[in-house]
Amino acid sequence: MSARDNILARVRRAAGQGDKVAVAARLGHHRSDHAPIPVMATTEGMARIEQFMKKARAVDASVSRIASLDDLPAALAHELRSRNLPAAIRTGMDPAFERDWGTIEHSTGPGRLEEPATLSRAEFGLAETGTLLLASGARNPVTLTFLGETHFVVLDAEDIKAGFEDLWAGWRARSLDPRTVNLVTGPSRSADIGQTLQLGAHGPVALHIFVVG
Amino acid sequence: MSALHPTTPRFKQNVREALANPNIQSAMATSGSGFVGRRAAARAAMPEFDALRDAARDMKNHTLANLALYLERYEEEVLAAGGHVHWAETAEDARRIVLEICRNAGAKTVNKGKTMISEECGINDWLEENGIRPVETDLGEYIIQLRGEVPSHIIAPAIHVTVPEVAELFRAKHGHLAAGRNLDHASMQAEARAVLREKYFHAEVGITGANMLIAETGQSVIVTNEGNGDLSQSLPKVHIVMASLEKIVPTLEDAATVLRILARSATGQEMSVYTTFSSGPRRDTDPDGPEEYHVVLLDNGRTGMLGTDFQDMLRCIRCGACMNHCPVYQAVGGHAYGWVYPGPMGAVLTPSLIGVEQGGQLPNASTFCGRCESVCPMRIPLPKMMRHWREREFERNLSPSAVRWGLAFWTALATRPWLYRNATWVASLALRMMAMGRGRLAKIPLAGGWTDHRDFPAPQGGTFQSRWKSGRTVR
Repeated sequence: MSARDNILARVRRAAGQGDKVAVAARLGHHRSDHAPIPVMATTEGMARIEQFMKKARAVDASVSRIASLDDLPAALAHELRSRNLPAAIRTGMDPAFERDWGTIEHSTGPGRLEEPATLSRAEFGLAETGTLLLASGARNPVTLTFLGETHFVVLDAEDIKAGFEDLWAGWRARSLDPRTVNLVTGPSRSADIGQTLQLGAHGPVALHIFVVG
Repeated sequence: MSALHPTTPRFKQNVREALANPNIQSAMATSGSGFVGRRAAARAAMPEFDALRDAARDMKNHTLANLALYLERYEEEVLAAGGHVHWAETAEDARRIVLEICRNAGAKTVNKGKTMISEECGINDWLEENGIRPVETDLGEYIIQLRGEVPSHIIAPAIHVTVPEVAELFRAKHGHLAAGRNLDHASMQAEARAVLREKYFHAEVGITGANMLIAETGQSVIVTNEGNGDLSQSLPKVHIVMASLEKIVPTLEDAATVLRILARSATGQEMSVYTTFSSGPRRDTDPDGPEEYHVVLLDNGRTGMLGTDFQDMLRCIRCGACMNHCPVYQAVGGHAYGWVYPGPMGAVLTPSLIGVEQGGQLPNASTFCGRCESVCPMRIPLPKMMRHWREREFERNLSPSAVRWGLAFWTALATRPWLYRNATWVASLALRMMAMGRGRLAKIPLAGGWTDHRDFPAPQGGTFQSRWKSGRTVR
């Protein structure tokens, strides 16, 4: 008998065979009535966008709104300048980033040792907690999310979901299958030295979100 | 101590040393209250919090009742995504599997995100013995690795280390930097960030733990604030996940239920900064991410808890709320517990995993105040389970003879009401006389454990029973 067989046999001896019908139902139907839905996960319309921005700011991200992706280069140039960052950005191959970057030096590819500023596009936002959902891949390499000293993220206002329930529904509807799904809530931090919270642990020191539309 | 050499059997000695250690006392004095206040605030901000705890408990009970089915589905999904699942019955099996994967990858350096399962299996010592360098990347874990220690808290591993101790450590270990540099909170964190950043690019293997394994999707989930777990798994060519088998949840929705209570219970955050769902190796067109994905699925005694008085412990999501609220943990810190898991959850889990002979003293380290159970997001009845362990320790004749004699004496007294009445009357009279009208006692024979630290109030009036009988007590 293999270790696998031994372990599963012990589980079945102790806990029984299990209820195949109940398990199939749980895995297949994605019912949201197994747990209460928090009120803070049920915002709609403008209130949803506002709650997203408020919650993101509460976890030390900064947020600005732009009318369309065409405004992105100018808005990014402004942010880089005001943060005393070099006029350079690293992105993946997301179609949103195929544009004229003007004075900003634009490069594509995964993250390197030194990355002053990186830019990704989020699949979704979560108004419940001010969280971004990013999917790894050629369009948005996962290392850009963690190696950028300042991480910029573009998020369509329409992609902001109220709570986990509609986030997962929206996620399944897109049928993506990335190696990692990254939920990001603010810039990295640690309190491991003297229990005092400091931003900028191993991931970004700063996170800025452009909400589009 | 280490995973292989618990100091749990000498728990009492550990406690005495911890109480006499000024650094531990100073670190513990400033650490605990923050967690407690932030959890309370997070709970207050979410009216559904307690109902979510009920839902999470029910979800995990359902999962444990159907564990084999969910494990099989989870494995199917990992394989479909191109990953590997290695079933490990014991810590020794897990060590062997991890070493084999590292050797196949030609690993010289292994980066580690925070994983308690790896602590449980003693992976660091094992890799070092076999010529592979493990590098802890969580800031707290990095600090204690440099100090040659193990975590003293499951989410704040260096909680026992004071700020001046960290500064001294960094000066000693980061010899390539200017000796006279200024080191405050921020600069020390930046320094560790810079030192570890380079290491991420050199490691051949990254090991992380898992807060959850999702049966529906075959994803492993890590929850962190620093981003080190993500760099540890995204940059090396091999990613190993070390997880125990009770980490399974059925669906993404069920994972969300856990996420809604996990960070709130742990640090008081609504969400930790990074919650990462990983499945399989990098996809064909991906420019980054690991080329291999291995999950080491550890039993190490957990299937032995299923169907017993201790099954509820398998609901634990390792938030640390129980130890943050425990008066015993807050007084002695985590190392006194002598093995990997400290605090109330450790007092229940340790005897289950390393045996009541070695870990049997821990369930006695409780005042049964019940705060751990009252804050546990998974509603684990920790005091009840500690009581079960005390019973087993007694049944197996493992408790010290003083305790056994004391209990026998107490039983003789408490089961004979006339004797009890008279004995308490005599005792109360004796204490009153010893107090000599001062109302309190600075010393009582055999009660030094109490009177060394505070006075004992002298009895006033009659015994409880006599007052009850005479009707003077308000009923």
